[in-house]
Amino acid sequence: MSSPALDIESLEAAYEPGLPIVRGANLRVQPGEIVAILGPNGAGKSTLVKAVAGLVPISAGRVLLHGADITCVPAHRLVFEGLAFVPQTENVFANLTIAENLELAAAILKADKRERLDPVYAMFPDLQRQRALLAGRLSGGQRQMLAVARALIARPRVLMLDEPSAGLSPKLVGQVLDQLKRVRDTGVTVVLVEQNVKAALAVADRAAVLVEGREHLVGTAAELRADARIAELYLGRHVQAQAVA
Amino acid sequence: MLQILADGLVIGSVVSLGAIGLSLCFSILRFANFGHGELLAWGAYVALSALAVFSALAGGAHPIAPFSFGWPLLAALAVAALAVAALTLVLDAALFKRLRRQGAITLVIASFGAALALRNGLLFLYGGVPQYYSQELQIAVHLLPRRLLGGLRITPDQLFVLALTAVTVVGVHLFLSRSTLGRAMRATAMNPQLARVAGIDPERVLRATWVIGALLAAVAGVFAGLTVQLRPTLGLDLLLPLFAAVILGGIGSVWGAVLGGLIVGVAESVAVHVVGAEYRAAAAFFVLIAILLVRPTGLFAEKT
Repeated sequence: MSSPALDIESLEAAYEPGLPIVRGANLRVQPGEIVAILGPNGAGKSTLVKAVAGLVPISAGRVLLHGADITCVPAHRLVFEGLAFVPQTENVFANLTIAENLELAAAILKADKRERLDPVYAMFPDLQRQRALLAGRLSGGQRQMLAVARALIARPRVLMLDEPSAGLSPKLVGQVLDQLKRVRDTGVTVVLVEQNVKAALAVADRAAVLVEGREHLVGTAAELRADARIAELYLGRHVQAQAVA
Repeated sequence: MLQILADGLVIGSVVSLGAIGLSLCFSILRFANFGHGELLAWGAYVALSALAVFSALAGGAHPIAPFSFGWPLLAALAVAALAVAALTLVLDAALFKRLRRQGAITLVIASFGAALALRNGLLFLYGGVPQYYSQELQIAVHLLPRRLLGGLRITPDQLFVLALTAVTVVGVHLFLSRSTLGRAMRATAMNPQLARVAGIDPERVLRATWVIGALLAAVAGVFAGLTVQLRPTLGLDLLLPLFAAVILGGIGSVWGAVLGGLIVGVAESVAVHVVGAEYRAAAAFFVLIAILLVRPTGLFAEKT
């Protein structure tokens, strides 16, 4: 059996030494999966993906990317290892145009610009039409598309996103999450942190619920949708009633 | 009238080149480097030493008419730029890099200390007597007769300073807007965390920022020495105008720093003609206060 795309083992991470936010989290993501990380506010969801992305210091545990230990790899080298990360806010370079954002991503990798940009423009035709527009002038949904497109320029094996639906209208949430399915269909493993549990479980294959810095529940999206605790805590009475029915 | 403007633009050229480096430092290194003025002074004095060596090797200064200087000063300028770039990298490794995690306030205080050390180093090495690159007298060229807006006279050296400043500024603009490293620097200034996850090596960007700031500072210092004189307090005297230019133009904006520098230069020139040379420094101070009151983000602040 091939090694997991991403394997998080007993991870502890803290912004301040001695005050861990992530406390022994474990998560195994198989190649080609979409896995959602869910949980209440302050559970450590964003800190977990930021720690994996090298932005928050890791104090214990390890992270494996397709079997290779990347725990100590600095954030700026991870994209070369095949791990891309899309932060929740300020996830594009606002003073650069769409084209400059994408060209910079290709140039950093010393990759052929056209070879990298063409497939991404094909996936996000709106970005190509507006490529001369400053990223700072894009709407929330367009910014999110650009942020994902920028990450895909690196042709990552694993794409992590921190709350891609934050601040978007319900219609745009659906569009963004549908795009993630298309991204997965190109062979990229997707890990997303989400507050919007209903939307996340609609797109994810599996999900993990994080509580107090470690996984509390892990299962397929169907299992979690059917779980009474999840329905009660996150999905509301309507869905709970559906589940019972 | 035009003469005041022209004098101001010459002063402003020096300020502009220094302000670009300070602005980049502000936006990428994320602290106000109070030692930046000293880099101009060190550039000016290293060029003086290199000029002495090159002139000795060439058997004289060999002025290129109509300028007061020859190729030895141009070679000395290149040596000074490289030397100041090396100096900033040593300063960063020995001082600022060790304190980076402590935050901006610590770095600012450290830059005060570095400025003191650098200034007194110059005083120790070169003494306090003003010096000049050339003893040649220059005859100002009449560009406009007195009857037209009071006339306009300018020396060839001043024209050289204006022209080379324009070329340098365009070069910096092209570097920052077209090259990968330049775009990476802008990206880091806008959003350092995103820059890291995008694959930009922060240490490489920091080094590039130091080097570019140092190169520009050295050129500005040599221009100051060429158009006025060399004195160990050159950096301290230019510090307030540099900060006024950066804040006026908007932190992080190259064109803002250039325009800010030119406005500060013209304000100083006006002050010299209206209230006297002794109040020249006050002009930059008033520009700084005015912009902080009216538009604290500056004219061309980079948005994130």
